[in-house]
Amino acid sequence: MTVISKKVCLLGDFAVGKTSLVRRFVYNLFNDKYISTIGVKVSRKTVAVPRDDDVVELTMMLWDLSASEEFNQVRASYLRGAAGAVLVCDLTRPETLDSLQAYTDDLLRVSPDAQLIILAANKRDLADQQQLTPAQIEAVAAGLRVPYYLTSAKTGDEVESLFRHLGRLLVASS
Amino acid sequence: MTDDRYHPSHAGDTGSPQQPQGGPSLEALREILFGRYRQQMAELEAELDDLERRISDEDALAAIIAPVMGDAIRRKIRDARDEMIEALYPIIGQTVVRAVSEAIRDLARTIDARMRTTFNLRTIWRRLQARVSGVSGAEMALRESLPFEVAEVFLIHRETGLLLWHVSRDPDASPDSDLISGMLTAIRDFAQDAFGRGEEGQLDEIQYGERRILIEAARHAYLAVVVDGIEPPGFRAQMREQIIEVEHAHEKTLRHYEGDPTPLAPVKEPLRSLITAAEPRALSPAQKRILAGALGLMVVCLVGACLAGGWAWQTLRSTPTPLPVAVEPTSTPTSTPTFTATPSPMPAAIATPSPTFTVTPLPTFTPTATATPTSTATPAPVLGLMTGNVWLHGGPSAASPRLGIVLERGQPVELLALFGDWCQVRWTPQAGAEVIGWVPARWVGTTTPIPARIVTPTPGS
Repeated sequence: MTVISKKVCLLGDFAVGKTSLVRRFVYNLFNDKYISTIGVKVSRKTVAVPRDDDVVELTMMLWDLSASEEFNQVRASYLRGAAGAVLVCDLTRPETLDSLQAYTDDLLRVSPDAQLIILAANKRDLADQQQLTPAQIEAVAAGLRVPYYLTSAKTGDEVESLFRHLGRLLVASS
Repeated sequence: MTDDRYHPSHAGDTGSPQQPQGGPSLEALREILFGRYRQQMAELEAELDDLERRISDEDALAAIIAPVMGDAIRRKIRDARDEMIEALYPIIGQTVVRAVSEAIRDLARTIDARMRTTFNLRTIWRRLQARVSGVSGAEMALRESLPFEVAEVFLIHRETGLLLWHVSRDPDASPDSDLISGMLTAIRDFAQDAFGRGEEGQLDEIQYGERRILIEAARHAYLAVVVDGIEPPGFRAQMREQIIEVEHAHEKTLRHYEGDPTPLAPVKEPLRSLITAAEPRALSPAQKRILAGALGLMVVCLVGACLAGGWAWQTLRSTPTPLPVAVEPTSTPTSTPTFTATPSPMPAAIATPSPTFTVTPLPTFTPTATATPTSTATPAPVLGLMTGNVWLHGGPSAASPRLGIVLERGQPVELLALFGDWCQVRWTPQAGAEVIGWVPARWVGTTTPIPARIVTPTPGS
């Protein structure tokens, strides 16, 4: 079994559910307060990804970045060396989808190699509050040329699939 | 002859008859015109005198300018701190260094004094170790009093924060080293962005209580070493050497790191050497040889001393230094000598190949009442002192049987008879017990000449 590690950043506006995705489905060691103090918290998600006749144990080091403006300056440092990213938007807030392009630009400016990006349209469990349609999500994803998932950190829908998909992309590229 | 020519000094003169200078009217005029100025001049002179006095008085001068200087220095520090530090460093820096050095020397002396007055195996070992290491015992003790231990070593990819390799002293170390390395990198980046913007510096240490994280960075990777205590001199340099070596050896892997640490496996031992470097240093082969030699020499000396002691003991017992025995010369020995302490004195003229002995040829520790009554008048016992450790014999010859007793040097004995070179003595080991036997006369010393009455002529003498 091959063991590899990759750095993955979680990007998205405030309160879109990045930390919830991380908190529920990845291994945590540090308190969430780090996000508000230094603007980032590092967590780990390990997935087994088949490759040829082998299985690769991929450890994704997830950098959950604060969306607060006060960390704009330091955020660029946190993006350095990322192999991929999860863009997160909130299905109940259309503006969170619009800002994904800016996050992607920031990421690619700092880490041009971070081509492996996946979009998570979160809070699908709030069906009666959704203001974004799957078509809109698909359109933005197509514009960014990234796959997308409609997820719910609350129910766990599609979260595991999202990380496995990202894992496959990362392994395939290495 | 008078000079009637025009003179400018006379230009003001009215041509009236000259009035004597300082006349009352002129003086009054002067007072009117210049009185105020004269007073001011007098006041100025007084002030100048006072100022001169103050300047010449150092204490007064210091009292005047001290507040001003204080304010000036404060303002200068506020406005140009670096300039002031630069100006004062040669003085303050040296003073601080001197004070610290003296404090450390005092501490070392105290420790050294304690070590010298303490005698135990640990101290001896430390002294030996210090001697072998080439440092003073105080320095060794000081070093021991500053414990240092490397708990963990992280080799971290600088750009991604991914853990490249991790070595821990504890085999059951936390499996979260990759998370720690990620957060450590985040903190490093944060510190750099928050405080080191536009500067070359970087975070090189994080301290929490007694535990610290020492950081040494190269171009693509950095070392984070978690330590307890004070690192010894040179440890930082060793860290730097290690990270540079890793960087050189794996430059290509680190530059395009893909997340697979397998190619970096060879760094394990160099990283582990940082942990072992902090352990009590094992002696080098040369030091071991020296120590083994010293110990061997000590053993040889000890054995030699034991052998020499044994030999000396044997020598003392067998051939001690002879001391002369004072014997009163008797030109006319009595024709009827009698053995002292013999119940039936026999004339010496009896042709017996060997003299007759006392009636107690074997030693006895049982008290004997007055031993054997002597028929001869012996007014006072002849006392002597053994001058060597000598076997007590049953007869006046070396061939006679030993009585199993050694009279030790310094033991007081009573001389009972002298026959040839042999002396019959009585030894009283304790009250009520006595032993009588023969010893070579040369091992018995007396302070007074041996009276002829106890000398038994030898056959033919």
